[in-house]
Amino acid sequence: MRTMQIKNILIATSFVVLLLGCTAHGDHTGREYAPNMYHSVAYEPLSQITDETAGRWVNSLDNGPTRGEYFNSNKYNPYRMNMREPAPHTVKRNQFGWLPYRSKKVAKDSIDFITTGMKNPLDSTAAVVAAGQVLYQSNCLHCHGVKGMGDGKVSDKFAGVANLKGDSYLGISEAHIFHVITYGAGLMGSHGSQVSPEDRWKIAKYVKVLQKQK
Amino acid sequence: MPKPKKRFEIMTSKCRFVHLRIKGGTLTHMMKRLFSGIFTCVSTFLLCLLLSYSVQAQELPTDAAAITAGEALFNANCKTCHRVKTKLIGPALAGVETRVPSLGWIVNWVHNPAKVIGSGDDYANKIYAEYQKSQMTAFTSFKDEQILSIIAYVKAEAAKPDAAPVTAAAGGTGSGSSEPSAYLDAILVGMIIILILLVVILILIVSALRKFLDTKELSEEDKEIVNSPITFSSVTRSPGFIFLVIFIVSTVTFKSVIDGLYSIGVQKNYQPKQPIAFSHKIHAGQYEIECKYCHTGAAKGKQANIPSTNICMNCHSQIKAGTNTGEGEIAKIYAAVGFDPATSTYTGKTKPVEWVRIHNLPDLAYFNHSQHVNVAGVICQTCHGPIQEMDVVKQYNLLTMGWCIDCHRKTDVNTKGNAYYDKLVEIHNKKSFKVEENGGLECAKCHY
Repeated sequence: MRTMQIKNILIATSFVVLLLGCTAHGDHTGREYAPNMYHSVAYEPLSQITDETAGRWVNSLDNGPTRGEYFNSNKYNPYRMNMREPAPHTVKRNQFGWLPYRSKKVAKDSIDFITTGMKNPLDSTAAVVAAGQVLYQSNCLHCHGVKGMGDGKVSDKFAGVANLKGDSYLGISEAHIFHVITYGAGLMGSHGSQVSPEDRWKIAKYVKVLQKQK
Repeated sequence: MPKPKKRFEIMTSKCRFVHLRIKGGTLTHMMKRLFSGIFTCVSTFLLCLLLSYSVQAQELPTDAAAITAGEALFNANCKTCHRVKTKLIGPALAGVETRVPSLGWIVNWVHNPAKVIGSGDDYANKIYAEYQKSQMTAFTSFKDEQILSIIAYVKAEAAKPDAAPVTAAAGGTGSGSSEPSAYLDAILVGMIIILILLVVILILIVSALRKFLDTKELSEEDKEIVNSPITFSSVTRSPGFIFLVIFIVSTVTFKSVIDGLYSIGVQKNYQPKQPIAFSHKIHAGQYEIECKYCHTGAAKGKQANIPSTNICMNCHSQIKAGTNTGEGEIAKIYAAVGFDPATSTYTGKTKPVEWVRIHNLPDLAYFNHSQHVNVAGVICQTCHGPIQEMDVVKQYNLLTMGWCIDCHRKTDVNTKGNAYYDKLVEIHNKKSFKVEENGGLECAKCHY
């Protein structure tokens, strides 16, 4: 009778301890219910499991006794990644059929020369300026500041942020702004990979509006 | 000894005080020189009268008003490329007033650097060559006295001793979240003190009662009960104690079992160590960098994306030491992107950084970031929690189906400025309607 009781208590506590191990914390992901559903068989972007035997214990695939179901890695790609860069010498067109901006990075004093004649393809509508403002806030504000005075929070640490309302910047064209966002200038880095050409033109529109504000 | 020839070239007001030193020569020669000396002085004096404004300004203003004005101008126009004491894109400006040929030279240079370089000026060409032939922007609209006030500011600033590094500035910010727990601690301590007091009072009552009973005549049985000592076994065998222990153990067990069962398949509080100790608290919190600046996919596609290292380099090309970890962690970015911080050049040897994925929906559920971020206008913190306060990111919410559904039931559809919803708004009598009413609970919206 007494041993039975102790046995029952032991079983109950071990059950609790086991269950406590299910909770995710720190480096431990926690237990999964029906793990096959969490692990994609198809290549999953931003994920990579290079261990071929991972998930062998729940394997429902017909891929041999040594392979697991969690394996998710493309061995033909560089670094066995699932994502890969576009094929070389291919270009992306956007929904309006625009080709990428093809000018090269040039010295600061040549920007005006090479952007001469370039026009912002977008109209100066309130919607474009409003969209430009949203994009400015997420991409430019932390350095150039709310009013464009070069006083964003990052400028405390990153020296050399341009004051967009400074004398030398008031006269720059929208194409100049477009070029600088694409390739950077001075200490500013290239933002061509983050901001699409269409968004760059929208930001340029907004910056010109911002420069006229007091 | 200055050569007399020089005199004719110095066209400043100080010319008047240059002594005419003449060595030998004929009287006519002497007269000629004397006249030309007088002519120089007179012409300079006339120039002074004519351009009294600008020539007065050739001396650096020292009043506080001019220095303040100079500071404002410096911050608005020069700070992009120049600092007072450190070299940036352009040279450090401290001591510039003594370095350059003359104050007039600075005025000309700021107005039109190209012209000064083109004129064959030695100093201008030396600077131009030193800075890889990148020419300073011309500031044509500046008045002379504005330029001199900037120089006055630079001189005043250069004279100041170096400020002591501010170390404690970032320290005092983390107290906000600990306040409620401190409050709870106070309550807990208070309750423990009350309990101890209660126990003391009870002991006192028991001893008082015992003394009272001792004075009375009691039967043998009663005496035994009164005088029976309280031993460990008498306590553990009392039915009250057994009930209490069983009750506590079973309650805790029941709670743990239920919590444990509910946590299966839920990765809330998963907080793995990442290969680079990137702190969202510093980037998104302290420096207020928008999430979408780095997570470029959030507004555009299904995945929010892990930023590529070139985005890190937009700032870390210059910021080479971190706030928390110094140079060690940033060096990992440089190794991945192939950047030599000593020379600020790229080596071309790149390798990917293997981040640990935290938020992971099961394959059976479809989720699209852009629909939530761009169309619904949901801010990142709604699902990801206070990321801007996390040094190490953890999964803040459950990410279970019940959690999704709950939000779809409570949240109004963001119909503002979205023509797609115009007719729906009309059908709903121009009132807001919930995501639930727009098919937000349909199985096939997320499971297909």
